[in-house]
Amino acid sequence: MIEVEGLSITSASGPILRDVGLHVAPGERLGVVGESGSGKTLLAMSLMGMVPDGLHVTGSIRVDGAEMAGAGEAAWRRLRARRVAMIFQEPMSALNPLRRVGDTVAEPLIRHLGLSPRAARDKALALFDETGILDPERRLSQYPHQLSGGQRQRVLIALALACDPELLIADEPTTALDANVALRITRLLVRLARERQMGLLFISHDLAAVSRTTERLMVMYGGDVVETGATAELLRAPAHPYTAGLLSARPSLATHGKRRLPTIPGSVPPPQDLPRGCRFSGRCDQEIARCAEQRPNPVTTAPDSWAACHLLQARSKGAGS
Amino acid sequence: MSYFIARRVAGFLLTLWAVSVVVFAVMNVLPGDPALTILGIDSTEEARAALRARLGLDQPVVLRYLDWVMGALRGDFGQSYSFGVPVSDLIAERLPLTFSLALSGMVVTVLLALVLGVTAAARHGRPGDWGIMLLSQMGIAIPAFWLSMLLVLLFAVKLRWLPPGGFPGWGDPVAALRALVLPTAALALVQSAVLARVTRSAALEVMRLDFVRTARATGFGSRHILWRHVLPNALVPIVTIVGLQFAGLVTGTIVIENVFYLPGLGRLLFQSIANRDLITVQALVMFFAALVVTANFLVDIAYVIIDPRLREARG
Repeated sequence: MIEVEGLSITSASGPILRDVGLHVAPGERLGVVGESGSGKTLLAMSLMGMVPDGLHVTGSIRVDGAEMAGAGEAAWRRLRARRVAMIFQEPMSALNPLRRVGDTVAEPLIRHLGLSPRAARDKALALFDETGILDPERRLSQYPHQLSGGQRQRVLIALALACDPELLIADEPTTALDANVALRITRLLVRLARERQMGLLFISHDLAAVSRTTERLMVMYGGDVVETGATAELLRAPAHPYTAGLLSARPSLATHGKRRLPTIPGSVPPPQDLPRGCRFSGRCDQEIARCAEQRPNPVTTAPDSWAACHLLQARSKGAGS
Repeated sequence: MSYFIARRVAGFLLTLWAVSVVVFAVMNVLPGDPALTILGIDSTEEARAALRARLGLDQPVVLRYLDWVMGALRGDFGQSYSFGVPVSDLIAERLPLTFSLALSGMVVTVLLALVLGVTAAARHGRPGDWGIMLLSQMGIAIPAFWLSMLLVLLFAVKLRWLPPGGFPGWGDPVAALRALVLPTAALALVQSAVLARVTRSAALEVMRLDFVRTARATGFGSRHILWRHVLPNALVPIVTIVGLQFAGLVTGTIVIENVFYLPGLGRLLFQSIANRDLITVQALVMFFAALVVTANFLVDIAYVIIDPRLREARG
């Protein structure tokens, strides 16, 4: 169980993450969506205690009730792999090229769990089997360059599962893979979360991948969470203009070839150039006067769902009076 | 894989042959008549001509080359002009000392360089890094023979911990090892300064790679990651430089043996040059060149042992 409250990360030039809150219970699957520069990878790194040097972290990160914000490297190291594990975007380069993949997966089993090399090999074989690696016996003694991208990502998942973590963070795990392989990897992650009763934090800019992987969704922009709710609901009826923009920028069969794909104009500005109020002001097509200066408060849109937008605030106030 | 090794072996033999031609050619265009050297300037022209005939020096150059190479392949490098004994005996007698010195120099160089280089990389941009880089810059700037003299002055003359030079022979192993400490230090300190820099930059290069982040996310400590994941991946450039440095180490032993009065091959080479003992010089130069070529051959083999990707790429 991981619970984050009021997490902010600040660099010398200003805040990069503002007031982020989330919780993932065993077996729960939470998606984090946003463009590059939205802070989603930094959020993931903060849950591993791997925030780059020079950044200031405030707020609360609780892992199984233990407060980890401000904890040292030694305390975090005990959690990594055992409680919280992570897989990364680039399966091509995320494995040590000089090691047989079986040895890579056996290493934490031997060093963290104290298994004998023999037992670690058997466990690695079982993990390869569980993660759907073809011909697992033979794969154990192969090197990363002998494996395809999809097989390597499965090896990385097997490595992440080695010490039975309670939460698996997957940071863009399918971005570097082709669509067919990506589909199978997301199915694998859903199955593993179910079978192992393991929390899954799935980070992606790919709405299709997120929608088939997660139950709940968090949309991030410029270091803020702008909207959160049940994945299906949120994608069906987005409340925040940014979420709506992301959704309309998604290609679909209905629009294919008939018109230009709408895009959100511009790109996420660097942290020091983000507006002080709503981070999305300046790119938002429904902007009103106070957006740039005043930060919108979250407005409840459905049970367990909210969005932070001045338009919603105005609307709910109008409805209330 | 076997094709790769076969090609390397062929290249190795070809290089050795080319070296033998160059060494023989250089020795034979050098001025100086061996007969004059052996018999002295008071000898008669007839006596010198007779000696030249006996030594085979009146034969055509190609025949003399073939004679030399065939002999060398059997381990027969001819008779030393100045010592009057077979050159192979001279080499066999002095090789153990030079070999010990070169080996200990290499081992200390590599160990020191790996520890310093990896430590500097781990403390990148912090005082520990600056300190090690400053030291290595000094090590590169200081000539080995001058460092040798400083070491003798401090540890032999002032502190009297170690002998200033000479070699007691392997009959007394403790004394023999003590006699090798300062020469080894003089050799290794200078060589490791260069290698430590290479190790540091190679390690820094590897530390930026994604699999290092994976290892960290798997809960391993920085020491484990540095030595077990980063260093093996940094070995290819390190081994390349070790191979190149081996030549420097071999020439280094020539200087160091003369500074410390060690009766090894380097000192023999020096004496033979002074004595115009061309046949001994020729054998020694060939021997040193063969050592360097062998070292580079071993480096090529080491690449494919280190990196499984090269095994396939190189067939």
